[in-house]
Amino acid sequence: MLDVAPRVRQYEILPSLQPPGIPAVAPLPTGESEDTRRIAERFGDAVLAAGLHHGQQVVYIKPEQLVALAEFAKTDPHLRYETLIDVSAVDRSELPVSDHRFHTVYQLRSYSRKQHLMIVCPLDDGDEPTAPSLTGVYSGATWPEREVWDLMGIRFAGHPDPRRILMPENWPNHPLQKQVPLGGEEVPFTLTWEDPEFESLGKQILEAKSAPPKLPPGMSLEHMVINLGPHHPSTHGVLRLVVELDGETVVNVDADLGYLHSGFEKTGENKRYKDFVYYTDRMDYLTAMSNNLGYCLAVEKLLGVEIPPRAQALRVIMAELQRIASHLFWLSTHVLDVSGTGMSLLMYATRERERILDLFEMVCGARLTVGYMRIGGVSRDIPPAFLPHLEEFLKIMPEQIDDYERMLTHGPLWSERLIGIGKITREEALDMGLTGPMLRGSGVDWDLRRDAPYSGYENYDFKVPVANEGDCYARYLVRMEEMRQSLRIIRQAVDNLPDGPYRAEDRKITPPPRAELDISMEALIHHFKLMTEGFHVPPGMAYQGIESSKGELGFFIYSDGTARPYRLHVRGPSFNNLYAISKMSKGHMLSDVITNIGSIDIVLGEVDR
Amino acid sequence: MDWFELIVIPTIRSLVLIVVLLTGFAYLTWYERKLLARFHVRYGPNRAGPFGLLQPVADAVKAVFKEEVIPNHVDKAVYVLAPALALIPALIIWAVIPIGKGFPAVADVPIGFLWILAVAGIESYGVILAGWSSNNNYSLLGALRSSAQMISYELPLGLFLISILLLAGDFSLVNLVEAPRAWWEWIWLWIMFPLFFICILAETNRSPFDLPETENELVAGFQTEYGGIKFALFFMAEYINMITTSAIMATLFFGGYRLPFGIGGEIMPWLGPFILAGKVVVLLFLFIWVRASLGRPRYDQLMRFSWKTLLPISLGYMIVTALLVVFFK
Repeated sequence: MLDVAPRVRQYEILPSLQPPGIPAVAPLPTGESEDTRRIAERFGDAVLAAGLHHGQQVVYIKPEQLVALAEFAKTDPHLRYETLIDVSAVDRSELPVSDHRFHTVYQLRSYSRKQHLMIVCPLDDGDEPTAPSLTGVYSGATWPEREVWDLMGIRFAGHPDPRRILMPENWPNHPLQKQVPLGGEEVPFTLTWEDPEFESLGKQILEAKSAPPKLPPGMSLEHMVINLGPHHPSTHGVLRLVVELDGETVVNVDADLGYLHSGFEKTGENKRYKDFVYYTDRMDYLTAMSNNLGYCLAVEKLLGVEIPPRAQALRVIMAELQRIASHLFWLSTHVLDVSGTGMSLLMYATRERERILDLFEMVCGARLTVGYMRIGGVSRDIPPAFLPHLEEFLKIMPEQIDDYERMLTHGPLWSERLIGIGKITREEALDMGLTGPMLRGSGVDWDLRRDAPYSGYENYDFKVPVANEGDCYARYLVRMEEMRQSLRIIRQAVDNLPDGPYRAEDRKITPPPRAELDISMEALIHHFKLMTEGFHVPPGMAYQGIESSKGELGFFIYSDGTARPYRLHVRGPSFNNLYAISKMSKGHMLSDVITNIGSIDIVLGEVDR
Repeated sequence: MDWFELIVIPTIRSLVLIVVLLTGFAYLTWYERKLLARFHVRYGPNRAGPFGLLQPVADAVKAVFKEEVIPNHVDKAVYVLAPALALIPALIIWAVIPIGKGFPAVADVPIGFLWILAVAGIESYGVILAGWSSNNNYSLLGALRSSAQMISYELPLGLFLISILLLAGDFSLVNLVEAPRAWWEWIWLWIMFPLFFICILAETNRSPFDLPETENELVAGFQTEYGGIKFALFFMAEYINMITTSAIMATLFFGGYRLPFGIGGEIMPWLGPFILAGKVVVLLFLFIWVRASLGRPRYDQLMRFSWKTLLPISLGYMIVTALLVVFFK
């Protein structure tokens, strides 16, 4: 049906630009840590390599022992890796290696010990590999493993629900495999009158004959099955939920994703490192600054570049402003979901968000897709008018948050609708790999800004709000308090804003100032090299998670030493958190499904990526 | 003369009333949009005409000239009839409401109270039939909610009306307005007004009790499959219902067309209709104010509130009223 022969890439890097002599093989760890030594002792020969790589604990394990290792890591009292953050995979067919074409990569976190562990599992069986499924150990692996099967073509033995998740069921290839070209594929559905499928669809509309619906597994037509979305007012975009109802009580929920899948990962693997920053804006378009930050930090981890303190403080200010903006938008849409379009809080929260967008416009000219940060710093310094406006915002915002709380927290209807709805216990939250306010609302005291600080967050004094109830109301309270804490962080950052350069002075990474180009030959060369070729990132792999407003936003980058990431994987917090919708909604009313969607706080641009 | 008084005059009165109500509906949409916009720190319609005053005209033209779409999977006869069935009760309930001294809207029937209760009872048919005939899951859920909600809230509403009836001692609304009331009667009535207003909100499907059409879960509830002028009829029914119930509340609780000291009654009786209109506008403001500031309860919470809170209260209120009437009147 479809021609999947490799095509010449549009942005293929000329062979002469490939730095010679860089071995493009698996990035091997060196040294060891307490955890990796313990694992190596326990599993002996099954561990192919274990140690530290860019400061991350990495274990290479044989597939036979993968499940045992996960179980050991989860249950061993000295390890206690309670949660599986992410599953991804690397197709190494374009690297000069001949064996183990696919590697699956797992990110584990121990919240109690503040540790991060990366497990890499080289798979046998060449082009159609099978990996053991970790869903038995961490149920949060269900969706990420489906995603890996969908995009990378790796089957997971023992997976309870082995359907594709983002691409259509009949899609002929697995797009992230390296032989699949970027763009230019034939789309396997047509819109011609001759197409039999379209004809039957047309008849269905014109003649009122409905075909028996295709139900997701585990649902039956004994009950009423309704379709929420993809075009529905409250699914926050193009999410489709198939809901089985008994009266108005929800029996079963199945989420259908992928309507907004735009292949960011594939695109990223075909762009130079510096050019992908702008694409990250478009994933979770409500937290563009945080996305920029996460991506830049991941690349900087591989580059090992030092970021000047002023750039770090500016990044913190922007990321925290973005968190407030995102939470405000969450609040307004959540109110809309629960209370209807007439509710005025919708507009009040949007009004305050508008101020933040104005601030963003001052620093970078854009309001939504900002593209402000650069690898090595930020794109430009703040203008002189920025700080007075920010001061004004800091002055009015606390009162506004109190105002919202007066309308909601102390209003009987709001708490009546939220208390006890969408309950997730602490254990379930850990098991499902939830992050962000979803995790803190369930009583897990974890915030990456405090517990794995990046970009100088260790210098700020702030509290991490935690609530134990695990229902929508607890998550609401957590987010409201987070806004206040973000204001505190911004206050401190503004008061102690250091002087100095706003980006790294390393000319191999950041372009020289315009004035320097006129007088310095070397600057001109650097500029030319950066603009035409980009910079080369030393081979290796890095996972960097940041606390975005919705949870842990992670970037996994696998570099082969060229100017483009060999593999770029995004761990979207919305995607992993949305997995909880089924568990949260069962047994509640139909209205609560909508409340739960709002409470998870999803952006479909990031769920589908 | 007989036929003239019996047929021609009521016909003319009805026609005038319908024209006034339809205009009132059109400007009620404008009023609501403007007010909501002010609550929302927005401007509201301000492009068509001065202050957006021509906006309702533009809306009407748009609705009338839209293509009539009747989906194939609906029960056609009921589907077309349902909007009319929703609108007619909202209009005919006006027949008994007194709008000036010695001037009932159409007729001073001695059973005005019963007329209101009876017509309010058939109001829900339009919504239920619309949801049923649409053959759509969202519409069906909306219709089911609507029928359950209206039945549940008609009970306390009816009990409250009976209490008022006990105080008035007469089924005629004209007599109710004209008859003098003791001060404790007023206060006793006003104590009950907020609860009565809650019942009215549920009865007219207004926010926060607009569960039959909850746009954020049921898309548009019972009217999901309707478009163009048929949708506009439902819209009209809802808004005219708001005007109607406001007029009823003004009549029952705030002296209808009369102001204190006999203004609108004995003094300047021509002011009566305007006084009633003014009271209606103030009560409509309440509807919109509530919509802008209150969230929506869940369906089961709404039902629980009716059966477990409002019904006992209204029963108790009725008993106490009866005792008051027996011992003080």
